This record gives sequence, C-alpha cells and structure tokens, in this order.
Amino acid sequence: MEGRVADPPLPNAMSQREIADGEERAGRAWADALVGAAAWALPTAFILVPLLLFLMLGFFEVQGTDIAYHPTLKNYARFFRDPGLLSTFLKTCWLGLKVAAITVVLGYPVAYLLASLGGRTKYVVAMFFAVPLLMSYIIKIYAIRSILGGNGFLNRILLHLGVIEEPWTFLIFNLNAVMLTLAILLVPFAILPIFVALERIPRNLLEASADLGAPPLQTFLKIILPLSLQGVVIGASFTFVLAIGDFVTPQMVGGIEGFTFGRVIYSQFGFGNNWPFGAALSVILLLPVLAAIVIADRFGRARYAT
Amino acid sequence: MTMRIAKRLLLAAAGLAVAVSLASASWAKELRILAWQGYADDDWVQEFKGQCGCDVSVVFIGTDDEIWAKIKGSEGKDFDLFAVNTAQLQRYIDAGLTTPIDLDKIPNQKHTLPRFQDLSKVTGVMRDGKVHSVPYAFDSIGIIYDPKKVSSPPDSMTVLWDPQYKGKVLDYDNGEHNFTITALTMGIADPYKLTSEQMDAAKKKLIDLKHNILSFYTTADEAVQLWQNNDVAVMFANYGQQQVKMMKDAGLNIVYVNPKEGAIAWLDTWALTSGVRDKDLAESWINFVLQKKIGEQLSQRTGFGNTVAPFPSAGENDKLVWLEFVEDPTKRADLWNEIKAAP
Repeated sequence: MEGRVADPPLPNAMSQREIADGEERAGRAWADALVGAAAWALPTAFILVPLLLFLMLGFFEVQGTDIAYHPTLKNYARFFRDPGLLSTFLKTCWLGLKVAAITVVLGYPVAYLLASLGGRTKYVVAMFFAVPLLMSYIIKIYAIRSILGGNGFLNRILLHLGVIEEPWTFLIFNLNAVMLTLAILLVPFAILPIFVALERIPRNLLEASADLGAPPLQTFLKIILPLSLQGVVIGASFTFVLAIGDFVTPQMVGGIEGFTFGRVIYSQFGFGNNWPFGAALSVILLLPVLAAIVIADRFGRARYAT
Repeated sequence: MTMRIAKRLLLAAAGLAVAVSLASASWAKELRILAWQGYADDDWVQEFKGQCGCDVSVVFIGTDDEIWAKIKGSEGKDFDLFAVNTAQLQRYIDAGLTTPIDLDKIPNQKHTLPRFQDLSKVTGVMRDGKVHSVPYAFDSIGIIYDPKKVSSPPDSMTVLWDPQYKGKVLDYDNGEHNFTITALTMGIADPYKLTSEQMDAAKKKLIDLKHNILSFYTTADEAVQLWQNNDVAVMFANYGQQQVKMMKDAGLNIVYVNPKEGAIAWLDTWALTSGVRDKDLAESWINFVLQKKIGEQLSQRTGFGNTVAPFPSAGENDKLVWLEFVEDPTKRADLWNEIKAAP
C-alpha cells in the first residue's frame, strides 16, 4: 500500500482504487449478507416456519382419525360458540393477571433489596433467587402439594402447634391454589427484570433528590418507582404469559377447579386427538400473549422517551 | 506351489462354509417372539429352548404402536408370535396379520381359569369361529379404598358419588374410562358403544361426580402422593394391581375391590403372525407358558393376573368387562372437557 501511495497519481489511478474499494465493499456486503442469512435462517427454520405451520393447521379439521386438509373456519367458530370454552379462556386470562400482580408485588421488594446490596454481593444473591429456575418444575409442584395438602406439612405443623383443630382444606385443589403455586413458581421471572431496571437508575438522581431535601419515601415515589416501572411491566408480562399457557400446575393443584385454557389445548393433543382444534386454540391463546408483549414494549419506550 | 496352497485353502474354506450352512440349517428351528417385558422371562425361555431344541429370540416392546409398527411394517414376517391386548388385536385381524390358532395344539388351554376356558365368551379373541389369540395376562381397573374411612366395604363404583365421601375421592383423568364406568353403573349393556342419549345421561352423572371429588390424577405415583398428603377415602384405580403394590409399598392401608356392575379390564393375549414360520413351534410356546408354575411367576413378578393360577387381582366371580375401542374417542374427550368446564 505504501509503495502505491508513493506512485505518481495517474489520472485513472483514483478510479482504479475506487473500483478496488467498490469490489471490497461488494465483498463485504456479500459476507454481511451471508452472516445475516445465517442469523435469519435459524429463527426462520425453528420459530417462524413452525409457527406458520401451526397457524395453518388451525384451519383444517379432523375427520375420523385423520386430518382433512381442506381449509375451514370451523375450529375458530367452535371457540366462539362454545360458552364453556369462552368462559374457561376468560377465567384463565383473569388468573394470569392475578398471578402477574402477585409476582410483581412479591418480586419488587426482593429486587429492591438486591439492587441495594453493594458490589458483587448483589449478583451472588441474585443468583440464589434464580436457582429455583434450574430445578424441575414438577418437583417444585410436588413439593408445594405436600406442603399445602390436607395432611400436608403446613397443616401438620399448625395442628401440632394447636393453631387449628381441623386441617385446612382450602389451601389446595382450588383456583387459589393454582394462583399461589404459579406465583411462587414464576416469581423469579418478575424479580430479575425489576432488579435490572432498578440497577439502571443513575445514583446521582437519588443523590440529587436527597440533596434537594426529599424524604426517602418521596424519592421512591417520584424517582425510583417511575424509573423502575418498565421492569415491573416486563416482569408482569413475563409471568402473565407463562401463567396463562401453563397446563401442569392447574391439573396438579387445581382439583376440580383447575381446568384452564392450557388444559383444553393439552387435551386436544392427547386423548382428544384433534390437533387442528388444538392449534386454533393455541393461536387464540397467542392473542393475550401478543397483547402483553405489545404493552410491555410500548411501556418500555414511553419511559425512555421522558 | 503357492498357487496350489492357495487353491487348497480356498477349497477348505468352501468346505467349511458348506459345513457351517448345513449346521445352521439344522438349527433353523427358531422362534421369534415380540412381547412386553415380563411376558417371556429369560428362565422360561431357557427352559423352553431345552425342551424344543430350538433357538428363541425375544424382542421387547414399549408401546402398542410399536407392536403395530413392527408387525405391520414387516407384514408379519419378522416375528412368529406376539403379545397384544384384545382391543388392539382387532386391527391385526382386520389387516390379515394373524394366523388362527389350533387349540388342540395347546392342551394347557383346557386347564386355564374358568373365565378363559370358553374363548367364545372372551370378547375379541375369536372371529368367524376361529381363535386368533390365547389369553395370557390381565388386570382390572377397580376401586381402591381406605378401610378405616369407608365403613362398609364398597361393591360398586357408585361409591365415588357417595356424598359421605365428598372431597375425599380421587378420579383418574381420562374421559374414555370415566364414561365407561359411569355407563356400567347405569346398567348399560355395552359401555364402549354409547348412543348420544346415553352419553348425555352419563355426562350429567359425571358432572355430579366432579363435585364429589378432591382431585384428578394422571400417573400411579401421583395418586400415591395425593393419598399420602390428603384425606382421601376412595379412588378409581386406573392402574389396578400396579397401583395397589405402589401404595402398599408406601405403607398405605388400602383395599382393592372390583365393582359388582363389572370392572374394566385389559387382557393381553398371544397371537400368531401371518408370517409364522413354524406354527407348531409357536403354538407349543403358548402351551408352555400356560403352565401353572409360569402363571404364578408371571403374577408374582409383574403383579398382573395370569390366566391359569388364581390371583387376587380378580376373584373367580368378579365380573370383568374386557376393554374395547370406544365408539368415538374424540367425542368422549370433548365431553370430558365440557364436564370439567361445567360449573
């Protein structure tokens, strides 16, 4: 290169270099395109295509034991005509909202505590709160069941201490048990985004607030809470989405009330053997999920704008 | 010289090959079995080998669909006989994948338990006057109860509906079976082929049942855990003796009973494939395993009932209703969902 620079500049030397640059740029563009294609290929193959296939499956129907591949809207019509399904759907969404609220209320103080810890400690402690996520889901539900059961751990302790005379049976096998169990299982998903949001708040804002004479409560309400709301909304949408799709917890701790939309979908792929209907119901379940994601997204951007 | 040695070696090798193939021809008597674990245990296979002077190869399967894949996939040519339940057997007969069995070749069939002696009375094993399979192992789906909580021993599935035990009942989460037991309590002759009126009536009863139960369960160990941690009195025991054993192993005080209106029961049988090579040999295997000694061992080892020696899973007079395919599994599943969604 240096030798070339020393050469007397020929009239067409520049254009040659431009051509060379152009070629190089084209080459780089090709490489970029290749990397881009590779980056898109996996999500396309493993997320987009299956999702589209699923969407399509919802427009077919089962005849006998086989799927008949001619398009129909029957599955969707059936959802809107069946009062049982519709009410189960609404019940499930309401359950998800309650779970989201509980996880946020439980998760916020924990995240606040984590964020207030100094240096490395907070990441170590945060790790501890993430550890339950590594355990098998089923084991956790079994454990909760043996704690809350009629002859369970909690009842035995309370009986032993003389707090109660008869075992409490309202703890398990109802919708509240599903709500509580889901909240316990999902709370780490609320803690982590709130923790991240709290951590992002610049220290100097808090110091400024203190310098200007704001008491801690005012600082919390006017600065910390608004600036961490993004994390709250993200955490809530996480737990909402996970809660409405769950089909194991309701079955295991919900007793006769534990029939949620996830159970309906699950049954279509097992005993029901009606995959198209199951696919259509999954697409319907996708609507509140998308709504939650959109809300979380909007909220996040709005916060940044101010 | 070297050429000659090479030639001799070649000849010797050829001779050896002929000898080996002759020897294997005399060993060609081979029985190829496809069965569930526990149906062709090694000690029985060794004993049978000694008796028949033949070779026996056993392949174990894990699911009904696997049997179908293996038998249908080879059009019956890969195996001589296979174990299959009576409900599944029908599609093999339909597809011409079985060879009718000559009962004269199976003298031990005459010494089976009374309910298995007249095969025309065992639903599913005969068609057009021909025997397509011979019963071997079975289990019933009855009631498990806690004798301390259930004062008078129950004799019918109707105990699940008894308001005395409200909130103390466990039910197996499966629409097909729940409709079948309900139909049996209603006195419907064929609980596997319900009319839509019968289904509606059963659905109403099942909604009532739902309000009497504590929870549904899906696996046998789940039921054990539910039983340990809650005040449970009675349960629809989908896993039969397997479940009884698990619960007793867990130290639970329980009793098993088959309902008087009839207990659903599965029945595994031996069937010959359409590609059976040595029919006599395959039939002699069936005769061999229908010995009292083997029946007893089968029951001890698996917990299932056998067809020759009495075993507590079903008393001699218990009414068993052999499992069949239901009229419309999808409809039963849909109705089961409606029952669960019902207020």
